[in-house]
Amino acid sequence: MGNTKRYWSGLEELKETNDYKTTLENEFPEEQTVDAFLADEKLKDVNTGRRDFLKFMGFSITAATLAACETPVVKSIPYVNKPEEITPGVANYYASTYYDGNDYANVLVKTREGRPIFIKPNRALGASGELNPRINSSVLGLYDAARVEGPTKGGQAIDWASADDEIMKALAAAQNPVILSNTVLSPSKQRAIDMFKAKYNAGHVQYDSISYSGLREAHKAAMGKAIIPSFHFDKAKVVVSIAADFQGSWLQSNVFSADFAKTRVPEGKWMSKHFQFESNLSLSGTNADVRTMIKPSQEGKVAAALYEIITGAGAGAVEGINNNAVAAAAQMLKASRGEGIVVAGSNDPNIQMIVVEINKALGNYGATINADRPINLFQGNDANFAGFVESMNQGAVDFLIIDGVNPSYSYIDGAAFDAGLAKVKTSVATSLYADETASKATYITPDHHALESWNDLAMTNDRVDLVQPTISPLFNSRAAGESILKWSGVETDYYTFLRQTYNPAYTAADMYTDAAWNEAVQNGYKPNNASVGVDTVEQEEALPTGGMNISAALSAVKAIKGGQVELAIYQKVGMGDGSQAGNPWLHEFPDPVTKVCWDNYVTMSRVDMEAMGLEMEVSQNVHPNVVNVTVNGKTVSLPAIMQPGQTPGTIGIALGYGRGANGENIGKAAFQTAENGTHITKEDGSLVPIGANAAPLASMKNGAVVYAALDVTVEATAEHYPVAATQMHHTYMGRESVVKETTFGAFKAEAGKKKGEASWNKMPALVVHEDLNGDGEINAQDKKYTKEIDLWKEHPVEGVGHRWGMTIDLTACTGCGSCVTACHIENNVPVVGKDEVLRHRDMHWMRIDRFYSSDWSLERGEEEGVGTIESYTRMEHPSDAPQTVHMPMMCQHCNHAPCETVCPVAATTHSNEGLNQMTYNRCIGTRYCANNCPYKVRRFNWFNYQGYKKFQNTNPSQDTLARMVLNPDVTVRSRGVMEKCSMCVQRIQGGKLEAKVAGTPVQDGAIQTACAEACANGAITFGDLNDTKSTVQSISKNNRAYHALEEIGVQPNIFYMAKVRNTEENEA
Amino acid sequence: MQKEAAIREPLILGDKSYKDITDDVVGPIEGKAPKAWKLMITITSIIAFYGVGCITYLIATGIGVWGLNKTVGWAWDITNFVWWVGIGHAGTLISAVLLLFRQKWRMAINRSAEAMTIFAVIMAAVFPGIHMGRLWVSYWVLPLPNQFGSLWVNFNSPLLWDVFAISTYFSVSLVFWYIGLIPDFATIRDRMVKPLPKKIYAFLSFGWSGRAKNWTRFEEVSLVLAGIATPLVFSVHSIVSMDFATSVIPGWHTTIFPPYFVSGAVFSGFAMVLTLLLIMRKTMNLENYIHVRHVEYMNIVIIVTGSIVGVAYLTELFISWYSGVEYKSYAFINRFSGPYSWAYWIMMTCNVITPQLFWFRKIRRNLLATFVLSIIVNIGMWFERYVIIVTSIHRDYDPSSWGEFHATFIDIGIFIGTIGIFGTLFLLFARFFPVLALNELKSILKSSGENYKKLHHKDH
Repeated sequence: MGNTKRYWSGLEELKETNDYKTTLENEFPEEQTVDAFLADEKLKDVNTGRRDFLKFMGFSITAATLAACETPVVKSIPYVNKPEEITPGVANYYASTYYDGNDYANVLVKTREGRPIFIKPNRALGASGELNPRINSSVLGLYDAARVEGPTKGGQAIDWASADDEIMKALAAAQNPVILSNTVLSPSKQRAIDMFKAKYNAGHVQYDSISYSGLREAHKAAMGKAIIPSFHFDKAKVVVSIAADFQGSWLQSNVFSADFAKTRVPEGKWMSKHFQFESNLSLSGTNADVRTMIKPSQEGKVAAALYEIITGAGAGAVEGINNNAVAAAAQMLKASRGEGIVVAGSNDPNIQMIVVEINKALGNYGATINADRPINLFQGNDANFAGFVESMNQGAVDFLIIDGVNPSYSYIDGAAFDAGLAKVKTSVATSLYADETASKATYITPDHHALESWNDLAMTNDRVDLVQPTISPLFNSRAAGESILKWSGVETDYYTFLRQTYNPAYTAADMYTDAAWNEAVQNGYKPNNASVGVDTVEQEEALPTGGMNISAALSAVKAIKGGQVELAIYQKVGMGDGSQAGNPWLHEFPDPVTKVCWDNYVTMSRVDMEAMGLEMEVSQNVHPNVVNVTVNGKTVSLPAIMQPGQTPGTIGIALGYGRGANGENIGKAAFQTAENGTHITKEDGSLVPIGANAAPLASMKNGAVVYAALDVTVEATAEHYPVAATQMHHTYMGRESVVKETTFGAFKAEAGKKKGEASWNKMPALVVHEDLNGDGEINAQDKKYTKEIDLWKEHPVEGVGHRWGMTIDLTACTGCGSCVTACHIENNVPVVGKDEVLRHRDMHWMRIDRFYSSDWSLERGEEEGVGTIESYTRMEHPSDAPQTVHMPMMCQHCNHAPCETVCPVAATTHSNEGLNQMTYNRCIGTRYCANNCPYKVRRFNWFNYQGYKKFQNTNPSQDTLARMVLNPDVTVRSRGVMEKCSMCVQRIQGGKLEAKVAGTPVQDGAIQTACAEACANGAITFGDLNDTKSTVQSISKNNRAYHALEEIGVQPNIFYMAKVRNTEENEA
Repeated sequence: MQKEAAIREPLILGDKSYKDITDDVVGPIEGKAPKAWKLMITITSIIAFYGVGCITYLIATGIGVWGLNKTVGWAWDITNFVWWVGIGHAGTLISAVLLLFRQKWRMAINRSAEAMTIFAVIMAAVFPGIHMGRLWVSYWVLPLPNQFGSLWVNFNSPLLWDVFAISTYFSVSLVFWYIGLIPDFATIRDRMVKPLPKKIYAFLSFGWSGRAKNWTRFEEVSLVLAGIATPLVFSVHSIVSMDFATSVIPGWHTTIFPPYFVSGAVFSGFAMVLTLLLIMRKTMNLENYIHVRHVEYMNIVIIVTGSIVGVAYLTELFISWYSGVEYKSYAFINRFSGPYSWAYWIMMTCNVITPQLFWFRKIRRNLLATFVLSIIVNIGMWFERYVIIVTSIHRDYDPSSWGEFHATFIDIGIFIGTIGIFGTLFLLFARFFPVLALNELKSILKSSGENYKKLHHKDH
């Protein structure tokens, strides 16, 4: 029986009222049948004409076509099993070590979602954890598409098995196999090499791109051991450097610079004094208290004069040099025996020997110089290598492994090396790139990038620093050590082999169980139990002893004759030995001294340039002359730029340029690009390298490579070549509210004064129409500090919550630029290339302003009766022997920011934590904020740097692989928006979150901006100005603290600390 | 009917009747386009297309195609903007201020001066638009309701004031101009025989019937609009000047700017009116309506405003020294002796020195001299803005960032292009619109017409 129950929704339905019926009908109209529809008479009036039909069809086809077009699908795939240590969005840090044959540092590698993206200092290991721009920029090299992707033979890909097979066959037949490597610091690699040597009776030659063999040789002659001692600049009250750029490039400059900064604190008990004798203006020279210009031929004479004054052994004066300057330095050294350091940059063993003897005579060994803790870097031996090249050319080498070196490029006689290499039957290069040397080798068996590999490095004998991989190898590469093992017939992977170095009983089962090892990996180092080490004996034996003695050295250096023009070859802070020539960050990094990007050049003195009639201005439309520099028949052509502080009669050329001269694939950014961004090509279609290689201009002297040429001809050509510099104006025009500097004596005299009152840091005050001093009159004596005068309402940030701020100590800052590259990398700042820098459009959020002193001032003009206008013109010209100030400059995060008021759409606003924040999404790009910024720190996205063809060869974000290095915490800005320093707001937010999770207030020092973190000298301090216990607050109250351009009243959150030089007035 | 002293120079020369005026003004619209017109519009259109091409390239590629850089964030773009806005001042000044002051001589020139204003303001409006990094979100400067968390504009920003000032000025000027055109369109409509143009002019004349009621309303509206427009003449350029005056940049941060800019604007506007009218009266045979007397009046305005501008320049220099502010005094020393001093001296010569020649009656009444000088004034006024903008920011507070500005082809192309667009628009106006306010002119024919003056004179 069916269910006949009915339910009504209401009384209307039950009663079926008329109203209800109509409503129901309207709601569910009776369906019309097809017949009824077709029978409808009205239908005849409706017609779909030909045109309508075409319209419908057109629409349908278009719609269908459009629907068929799919936007590319980028899949983000979640972890199926989340790795324990990876939380998306949270960075991991791994302790590791950077070593490239020239630079060495203990580092922490930041990885995000398994990608290493940032390298920061590992300060737990002291000064050896400090970085320089080359080291923190090296992370980009990992993602270089120009790397060799797998083993090759004659440029053709080959698989590992057949490569190994063929190489081992060649080895079996070889009479005289040799391994040519850079200085081997790894005990494990040394062990592998030893096995190889034992098996094949092979030789091992170590070669350094920058030679320090003179230093070792001198120590061997003077102290009996071919060592490089460790220098302790933190203990030195007097430093005399004879052309050694120990803050920029010489030896362990990252360590020395950090150590030396500790002695440069005016508030301390003493402040070190730094004398620099040099011909090029080096980074150290810009920071020296007393700098004396000499020629390269006089380096030895200065050393000799110093020696004679200090020991009283000779005349004490040497012909042809500024003996007063030397005597002044010598007096200071004598007055602080055991508390000084003398260093020389020359690689001439005679000069180094004199310097060793000076330090010995002063009792510096055992005090500031430690010969008992020698450093193992730079064991290459020039005489030995020259002999090796000779033997290659004689055909005595029939098998060669080239590991980590590029002598075709870096050796002074690369042509001889090439000729020798051509005679080697089988050569194998483990290079990451098919570079100048590797491209000539029979096989390339690429090594891992350092960030992909395990290694152990014994820079000193008491400690082993560990290198750990932070990513799986991107390419089909293999650790060089493992390759050598393999070819020695040992079938062990390199990791196991490395563990066995420290625990011979190690097996894979022990991988995670050794607590001591785990701790060592976490810390990045382990103490050396002295059972392992690198073999320095062989190198030592190879060094010539040659009956060197001090009197012979003295007479030898005194006999050095200089020519009309002398050349000093140096390393730039950015490019170093050129091993990272394909790194656009380093090319874009302005040289700390010249501020030139993307180029190599000849530095010349004003006097010489005037005499030659060369163009001295460098700007967008005025291009320097190209000059031909000839040494012993070898000529390089480079643009010449005017360098204040360059000794007249000398020129300087940097190493590290001219890479890829035969079009070797060492990275897109290594070659010159045209205005439209494409590579410039030579007539034969090959690429044009940036700059020219200066290595061939160096020469062998007393068995060592000396980076100078004493008789050089320079001839001007009619050609002009554009040089791009980020700073075009070189003096600060007497604007003392930008830069404040004083001498140590003047500082001491007023050190106790209240902030704002000392003569070297007067706080600006304005006359007001108010009887402030209560003398009953309103006159010019009634002054108010500008910070008390206000047009605007106070931002409620003082004393409320956080107020992020920063102090920058101009005394500590050496201008090295680690902060510049760190900021560049951290904040995804676009690389714009040479043409854009030339147009004055560099994008660095953090820049270092370098100001030279001028000989002229308005006061001098008044004294000498020169008018104001003329005086200003003269003040634009830097002195020929300038004092230099390095001033890091970035957004000052003004509390009364002029940029904020002028933005029509409120895209830049003040945060309640004192930050001037930029909302990219909101920015419409009127650029008024940039115009209205007194510090000119705002940067505009003139183009779409991530996509526009002009940047295809320079900007890493245009490369699918290099793009991996971008920091996912920071937005990549689109074209048309303004950007600037955010005070690393992503790090601030991260730090606050961490503190919140931990349930504690943000600890002072827990948050570090990229620049503060990178600074080796402690010049930059970041923190909460509202935190009464913070370092930044206490520094901001120091009487050296000031705001740049304080009188404008923009009230920045950045404080500068006046620069103090340890200079007497008459020394400058 | 209003009477005028017989010794006053007549404003309409020759023996003109009402019909003659109508014929003189409407005749060219009814006839075929003359060859000269065709040639000129071809040239201006080509230039205009080039400009549009440059603008397209700019928008497609980025602001980087200009020569701007990290130090100099504005150069030709804002220079052109201020220059065009300045030129756009004359029209409204002539029609509104002179109407209120009952200066009858304005009637011969106000129509084309207003047209020039409209077109110049359109050209000016191009630059704030295209100078933005992201033109496609330029509507964010309008205080519109929105869904971005209801994000409001920044009322502190002088750029926002600009948006309001320019848009108000443009709309009022347009309305004012159009109201004036209505009776004249009606006249054309009534004479037109071709059906299509007749329809168009009928539409444009909004059903004007010429009744007394129409005329009273017309007069009332004109007066009201003149009242509204007069303060705008002064406000627009005052506000434009605040783009600079409210900043912290030495050389921009100057309280003298609003009056200085307004007089500069009138100065350049009158010069541009002269340039255009002197060509127009010749090519369109309007010598009887626009004659030496008109030119002389305008030259007097030029010399007054030019001298105000000159005094402003000297005041700036004096204050820069007197203030004792290091940055400000350097900014001005740099102006006249620095790398861009050539621009400063072009400005000084063109704006201060050469216009003083108008003190001589002969030169003032010489049409060729006036033509040449009017062009010189506009060159000078362009350089004035260039000097203010570029030389102030290229060397401001921090010497490390001191830089240069070098114009690119695109910078130049867009500027020349706007002149082409402006010229094209003006030529179209001259072809299809009544270039003189013919009905207004008729109202003074019997008081200021030469012939009537003579008759009148004989009566006594």
